[in-house]
Amino acid sequence: MRIIGEWVEPHSRVLDLGCGRGELLDYLTQAKEISGVGVDMDFARIAACVRRGVTAYQGDMTAFLRAFPERHFDRVICSRTVHELNRPAEVILEALRAGRALTVGFVNHGYWKNRFHAVFSGRKPLNAVYTTVWHESRPANPLTIADFEDFCRIKEIRVTRRVHLHGDWKTPCHLAPNLLAGYALYDLAK
Amino acid sequence: MTDDVEAPASADTGLRHLAPGDVGLVQPHDFVHPFPFTFKNGQTLPGFTLRYETYGVLNATRDNAVLICHALSGDHHCAGWHSPGDRKPGWWNNLIGPGKAVDTRRFFVICPNVLGGCQGSTGPSSIDPLTGRPYGLAFPFVTIRDMVQAQKLLLDHLGIAELHSVLGGSMGGMTATLFAIEFPHLVRRVIAMATTARESAQAIAFNEVGRQSIMHDPAWNRGDYPRDGGPRVGLAIARMMAHITYVSDASMDRKFGRKKKETAAADAYTFDAQFEVEGYLLHQAQSFINRFDANTYLYITRALDQYDLAQAYGSLERAFSGVQAEFLVVGFASDWLFPPEQNRAIALALLRAGKRASYAELATDLGHDSFLLESEDLYGLVRGFLEREKVAFDFAI
Repeated sequence: MRIIGEWVEPHSRVLDLGCGRGELLDYLTQAKEISGVGVDMDFARIAACVRRGVTAYQGDMTAFLRAFPERHFDRVICSRTVHELNRPAEVILEALRAGRALTVGFVNHGYWKNRFHAVFSGRKPLNAVYTTVWHESRPANPLTIADFEDFCRIKEIRVTRRVHLHGDWKTPCHLAPNLLAGYALYDLAK
Repeated sequence: MTDDVEAPASADTGLRHLAPGDVGLVQPHDFVHPFPFTFKNGQTLPGFTLRYETYGVLNATRDNAVLICHALSGDHHCAGWHSPGDRKPGWWNNLIGPGKAVDTRRFFVICPNVLGGCQGSTGPSSIDPLTGRPYGLAFPFVTIRDMVQAQKLLLDHLGIAELHSVLGGSMGGMTATLFAIEFPHLVRRVIAMATTARESAQAIAFNEVGRQSIMHDPAWNRGDYPRDGGPRVGLAIARMMAHITYVSDASMDRKFGRKKKETAAADAYTFDAQFEVEGYLLHQAQSFINRFDANTYLYITRALDQYDLAQAYGSLERAFSGVQAEFLVVGFASDWLFPPEQNRAIALALLRAGKRASYAELATDLGHDSFLLESEDLYGLVRGFLEREKVAFDFAI
């Protein structure tokens, strides 16, 4: 949240895809005086946004993005949502059309602990990040830093900034991020 | 809007108005505008009356007023009771009252009957001072904009220069939205539910069937009928059909299914009412024709059909370009009269115009009239939007 906050320009127009209960937009509104809107599928989360004064739209992200002209938003944020999208490429490309910049944050599934876990236990990860057992989990499409870098190259998306963080999600990780980083943040433009 | 809002069956008749959370006994007031009023189409009235109710107290800074806008068949009586023996309270009594989602301990609530209505405001059934007879079709063609303009004169009369919020469902959502467009400096927040920026062909079609039903009743007589007469059959059929559009397949099935009436005719080969749903519609129609004027039904459905923000202002974005209020648009999944897509379109156009707007959708299966629903989710949403303090204003972006 702090790093995203640094990337967001003051007074800019920000869209948060998968805004949850509006914590990030609330923070950005106070710290950067942005004008923000969030999108989420869940009524209770939208109601929570409304209660805290964050404007929010209940509905499908792609349909929402298609309702806006090119570069309507200064920045689109997609934080910890990308692995749950039905068609991630479609959403990311639409976000890069409707927004000048797109910030994507995701859990690196290639993190060494996940690899060890898979090899030695032969089970789906279950830890502070992957908190639920298989049969209680939402459908997820985990990705790694290497996967995402490939994706950006294939789709000719410009990576303007990237930050990889260690397993504590705080300390920067410069060496072998696909193995050693737990969380990744990308700033993209098209 | 259906007439289904009944008082809880367990409540002790005669004391219900004393229940906590109820505004209690209320009475309507009349605002008389004694000066000529020009309608959008250029026709004029020498003056008009709006009947309205208020609950709560206007504060010293005069900034706690909440305007409630009713739907096609609604009226100014949106909360409380006119007498202890009333069969039911005002139509939005579940939402409005001390401690309720629209908290009358905090807000000064105003609800007028629209211009063109038949519940005390000037409309086609009012007496034309020039002829001494009801206006009938001599009444000017009223639009939603005319209703808004007339209500603005009422607010001026009450000394209210700022509305904390405007709320409405269905036609009330149109009125509320247009208020924020026509008087941007007046309106801080809008909650528009189960509404549209323009009716679809289907909604216009339903209205037209209702109008044809009225106009083909010989008693309509080109709108010229006595106050206690008129096209009762035509109006009843119009209401029966419209009622179906306010509910849903699922809700009718739950309420009636194929249950039959407990009469001898129930299994006979006759055209008497056999199914409970038939008896229910007849009962609804009966209660409606006793309180509603057929000409008002024609005029207001026509006003609904003509309401088209995109056409009136060039585009929806242009319609919203001057809006200063923050919007909360609420759609209902099972509303097939003003479906969620049409509600979404309002919120999206506001956002495209750079305004503050939220959209929430309730997954009820009760159809269009879901906005009258007893739902903690809906109450929480409305309360959350109305009661938070900070409102970004003049956020020109």
